[in-house]
Amino acid sequence: MSTLSGEAAAILVVILVGFLPTEVWRALAIVAGRKVEAGSELFRWVKAVATALLAAVVGRLIFTPAGALAEMPLSLRLASVAVGVAVFFACRRSILLGALAGEAMLLGGAWWFLG
Amino acid sequence: MPPPVSAPAEPPPLPPDVETLETLSPLAWAGRGARHAISVPGVVLFAGYIGLGGLLHGVGFPFFAGMLSTLLIWALPAQVILAGGIGAGTALPALALAIGLSSLRLLPMTVAIAPFLRGHRRNFWAELLCSHYVAMTFWVEGLRLLPKIPGEGRVAFALGLGNALLAISLAGTAAGFFLAGELPPILAAGLLFLTPVSFSLMMIRNAGHDLMDWLALAAGLLSVPFVVGLSGGADLMISGIGGGTVAYLIGRFLRRRA
Repeated sequence: MSTLSGEAAAILVVILVGFLPTEVWRALAIVAGRKVEAGSELFRWVKAVATALLAAVVGRLIFTPAGALAEMPLSLRLASVAVGVAVFFACRRSILLGALAGEAMLLGGAWWFLG
Repeated sequence: MPPPVSAPAEPPPLPPDVETLETLSPLAWAGRGARHAISVPGVVLFAGYIGLGGLLHGVGFPFFAGMLSTLLIWALPAQVILAGGIGAGTALPALALAIGLSSLRLLPMTVAIAPFLRGHRRNFWAELLCSHYVAMTFWVEGLRLLPKIPGEGRVAFALGLGNALLAISLAGTAAGFFLAGELPPILAAGLLFLTPVSFSLMMIRNAGHDLMDWLALAAGLLSVPFVVGLSGGADLMISGIGGGTVAYLIGRFLRRRA
């Protein structure tokens, strides 16, 4: 935090370093994507790229997480996702039950691994 | 509950979250959008932002600027990079570049949801305003819910959903600031795991009957271990643009053959 002398400097950092590089893509998409109609071939390609990008972001959170989750073995993280997906399909595609089952697997495994 | 054995004469009832009334006021549409934020994805978002609040507190970021980052940046991965970069003392131009590259996904995501943010009459400024709310949760839930909303209700519905998700996230950021350091490590790991596990399920649910969505999902997820060493956003480019294009081409080939 040596470069930030206070609240005002931090706000400036949020706007210039955080907000502008993020918002520019959203604004550009509205300007450049005006002609893209739902269901067109171009739309389908853009949607496939967006889906793959989002999946990659989620994948990174599983394969190379930060903080306390990184302490859990990769095998436990993958097994927990697998349990979550299995329960999701078994319980009439319930996001709630699938996520709870995945969490239970992770926390149970963490308790077992780390005591 | 199993379906009744004898088929009823009238058409089957619509799923409970299909909006059928077309004569609601904009405020009522906004209320319906906001109501959809009180959901599992909303809880996941809250948990994710608790983690971010703790991270911001940990690097000594001021409270108000941290709240502003949620309001303005509104993209958890970019905010995590910002907090991590400030903690590590990264040069600000390099940090801006890293955030810009990590946020590139917002471009195709916004293009893909924009057709559902348009009413019967095109309004550029309303589209631009709605685009600010595009982030993981809004995108996944918006793509699922907005096509069922009649054209004139979509902007109000999107703003209701987006603002409610934002309010939940601001509450999470604030809670994280105050809880920072209080969470036991196992619980902290559980909070961090909530986002990937629930988004995996939400994306599987959204893939539905479109094979291309499944291929794109698999390509994005499964390519991660192979590109993880690459830096500067190249990993996301390969997974996203490469994987997405392959999924699109295979999907188109199979559709044309069918």
